[in-house]
Amino acid sequence: MSTVLDQLVSQPYKHGFVTDIESETAPKGLNEDIIRMISAKKNEPEWLLDFRLKAYRHWLTMTEPQWPNVSYPKIDFQAISYYAAPKPKKKLSMDEVDPELLKTFEKLGVPMNERAALAGVAVDVIFDSVSVATTYKEKLAAVGIIFCSISEAVHNHPELVKKYIGSVVPVEDNYYAALNSAVFTDGSFCFIPKGVKCPMELSTYFRINTQDSGQFERTLIVAEEGAQVSYLEGCTAPKFDTNQLHAAVVELVALDDADIKYSTVQNWYAGDENGVGGIYNFVTKRGLCKGRNSKISWTQVETGSAITWKYPSCVLLGDNSIGEFYSVALTNHMQQADTGTKMIHIGKNTRSTIISKGISAGRSNNSYRGLVKIGPRAEGARNFSQCDSMLIGAKCGANTFPYIDVQNPTAKVEHEATTSKIGEDQLFYFQSRGIGTEEAVSMIINGFCKDVFQQLPMEFAVEATKLLGLKLEGSVG
Amino acid sequence: MSVIAAHPYVATLLAGSAAVPKSPAAWLDALRAAALERANALSVPTTRDEEWRFTDLTPLTKLQLKPVTTATALTAADIAGHVLPEAAVRLVFVDGILLPQLGEAGKLPAGVTVLSLSEALKTHAALVEPHLAKLAGDDLFTALNTAFLNQGVFVHFAKGAALKAPLHLLFVAAGQDVAAHPRVLIVAESGAEGSVIEDYVAHGEVAGLTNAVTEIAVAANALLRHIKLQRESGKAFHIGSSAVTLGKDARFVSQAVTLGARLSRNNLTIRQQGEGIEVAIDGLALIAGRQLADTHTLIDHLKPHGRCEQVHKTIVGGGAHAVFNGKVFVREGAQLTDSSQQSRNLLLSDKARVDTKPQLEIFADDVKCAHGAAVGQLDPEHLFYLKSRGLSERAARNLLTYAFGAEIIDRIPVPSLVAKLEKLVMQRTGDNKNGQGEGA
Repeated sequence: MSTVLDQLVSQPYKHGFVTDIESETAPKGLNEDIIRMISAKKNEPEWLLDFRLKAYRHWLTMTEPQWPNVSYPKIDFQAISYYAAPKPKKKLSMDEVDPELLKTFEKLGVPMNERAALAGVAVDVIFDSVSVATTYKEKLAAVGIIFCSISEAVHNHPELVKKYIGSVVPVEDNYYAALNSAVFTDGSFCFIPKGVKCPMELSTYFRINTQDSGQFERTLIVAEEGAQVSYLEGCTAPKFDTNQLHAAVVELVALDDADIKYSTVQNWYAGDENGVGGIYNFVTKRGLCKGRNSKISWTQVETGSAITWKYPSCVLLGDNSIGEFYSVALTNHMQQADTGTKMIHIGKNTRSTIISKGISAGRSNNSYRGLVKIGPRAEGARNFSQCDSMLIGAKCGANTFPYIDVQNPTAKVEHEATTSKIGEDQLFYFQSRGIGTEEAVSMIINGFCKDVFQQLPMEFAVEATKLLGLKLEGSVG
Repeated sequence: MSVIAAHPYVATLLAGSAAVPKSPAAWLDALRAAALERANALSVPTTRDEEWRFTDLTPLTKLQLKPVTTATALTAADIAGHVLPEAAVRLVFVDGILLPQLGEAGKLPAGVTVLSLSEALKTHAALVEPHLAKLAGDDLFTALNTAFLNQGVFVHFAKGAALKAPLHLLFVAAGQDVAAHPRVLIVAESGAEGSVIEDYVAHGEVAGLTNAVTEIAVAANALLRHIKLQRESGKAFHIGSSAVTLGKDARFVSQAVTLGARLSRNNLTIRQQGEGIEVAIDGLALIAGRQLADTHTLIDHLKPHGRCEQVHKTIVGGGAHAVFNGKVFVREGAQLTDSSQQSRNLLLSDKARVDTKPQLEIFADDVKCAHGAAVGQLDPEHLFYLKSRGLSERAARNLLTYAFGAEIIDRIPVPSLVAKLEKLVMQRTGDNKNGQGEGA
């Protein structure tokens, strides 16, 4: 069976093409001049430049985190280009967007224009470092929702950006967040005013195109009192045999009774079967349940990247607020993932749920690392965590590092974890009922991940199921 | 031997090591010298070290410890309360020094040897050398213990030897500001069977450091039960490490109960070096007041068909803080391992704190591994049930708390010890009325 496995595991990466678009790239290296250049190019106000420089100066004093369970050669931060933009930069409507670019997104299957209408999804597309197209802006504006690139937001809604940026992930938070704060080039901004329920799914599509460039996007979503939004994020990158750095920061703010749902399907290029190339995905994502009864829900399907290092977290500050984390992390070949979540319970009666499913195949290493912290004032806090791992093949690893820190006796915290594999007997059971090995594996895996897929919006759930199938076809030996 | 420690407090701790008498064996002097060098290179761990993240050793560094030269003079009456009638042999150490007059040399069956380490080095060096300092780790406290290696116990179960009655090793902390470094080496040859109780107690409310290291080698088909009790004074510091290596089809049972010490750390490392090994680990920490009890365990499944079942419970009252870190490694090739771990924690007061981290690292695909952790308070419905049957709030709370801990205590196969511990736990839970009690 292992030959079938090898054949299917070595499925080529579908999104590994490079789009030949002339791009404007900053010289490699990082110093205050580069930051000033990025800021000037984007015509940014003074306060934002100060924000960047403050972050940069703090970054210089920090050291790279060593605690994740991943290994990679030291990153030379001076060998990265911190700004790459598709050259025909002026873009006012979809017609003016470089057709090469649109073709790229067509290849990627990103729904824009009419397809977007069918899917009912408003899309903001980030290509390398710059936002290239945002659809449905007017329709959203009619109900008061602001959905645009963060650069636009800096110009059109500076008071909002200034108020919330860095309020959830402070510039000094961690090494990569500080780096991002210094050099972030674009990202999405979304603001849902009081009482508005967003009429459609919002979506951002990220793509790294240029070799040796890093992508540092910054996403900020604010839901005011009683607002509701569901946000999707997808990522791909071309195949290069060098590693590229992706260090994003995502900040979510939910005020009283607000509800934010954030879904990610991450399929950055993962490197080849020997671990050459691929994206280093070092991301800081954090949501702040600031108001009473607010809710933030993270759903992620992580299938790509050579190394994934991310912990979408919820700070449950408001009383009765709810944090959720649903994750499927799949690693194959030489991929390494150290991912999980942090649930920080501060307010009373705060509740959190963690469902994490890790699947390791090939020679990959998949770690769940999570923190559940119940502060001394979090009366009646409740957490349930379940972290299951599945191993496919005998050369991969699955690890769990759950940290549980409880300082209030009324809290109830439960953690469960199991590890299993797809057994011969399970496959035999399927085969005896006329179901082939591959289909059986796909059914077992889908069953294993069901709790998470149920949380994904429809279109994404279909995509995620397909993606897992593609990545794992026949990897049972 | 000159002492040039990188860290000033380590220098203080090492101060007396030069006075340790030369051993009868050159290899042991070499071991000590190497350990001294190792300790000199290290510094006192801080909360920035992952292994000590929740346990702050600053209070220990405030203690002006001095090496012990003569043991506090205790009489048989002073230790009468700690005597276990079931024990076949009792060895008593006061401040880390063996006092033969307090011990009891019972009749041992052929093949079972219990000796002071210094004597064993003279008469059984060939049995000691392959294991001593070979199993324990290389952290600061183990290195310190080895640098001071002089007093301790050697227990040997020869091939096929079996002893049902436990061996009782009693370590009494009696001197103020004393640092004791007791060492225990237990070797069970193939097919042997035995049990050893390490019992750490205090005489008076003394502040000092007990830095114990135990090394256990269990050969193929042998069965060893290791019971460790720690009820030192509420001012004491206890740092203990047990390192266990197991051969094919061996069985090992570890039962550890922590009640005492202001700050205690219990490390247990078990390496399953053969196939088909069975391990059971029970742990209970019952603490209150300002106590901190930290337990770190590591189960390393290196070979196929290994089993391990672990339950660790903590009952935390007052402003106490319990820490648990349980690592389970399943190495590549250790197929068909079945390992489970439970961390159960009961918080009795609003200032009590628990940090637990059950950690699984698995590199084999055909294994069954599960871990669970739960933190909570007494179930209000359980309390209500008991109260509806006429129990007072206090009695109901005590009963439930006691029952939570009794699951671990009742599994210890030494009736007099179980009775003693049950009494202690009852007292403690009584003190813990509404969690405001100042236990210890």
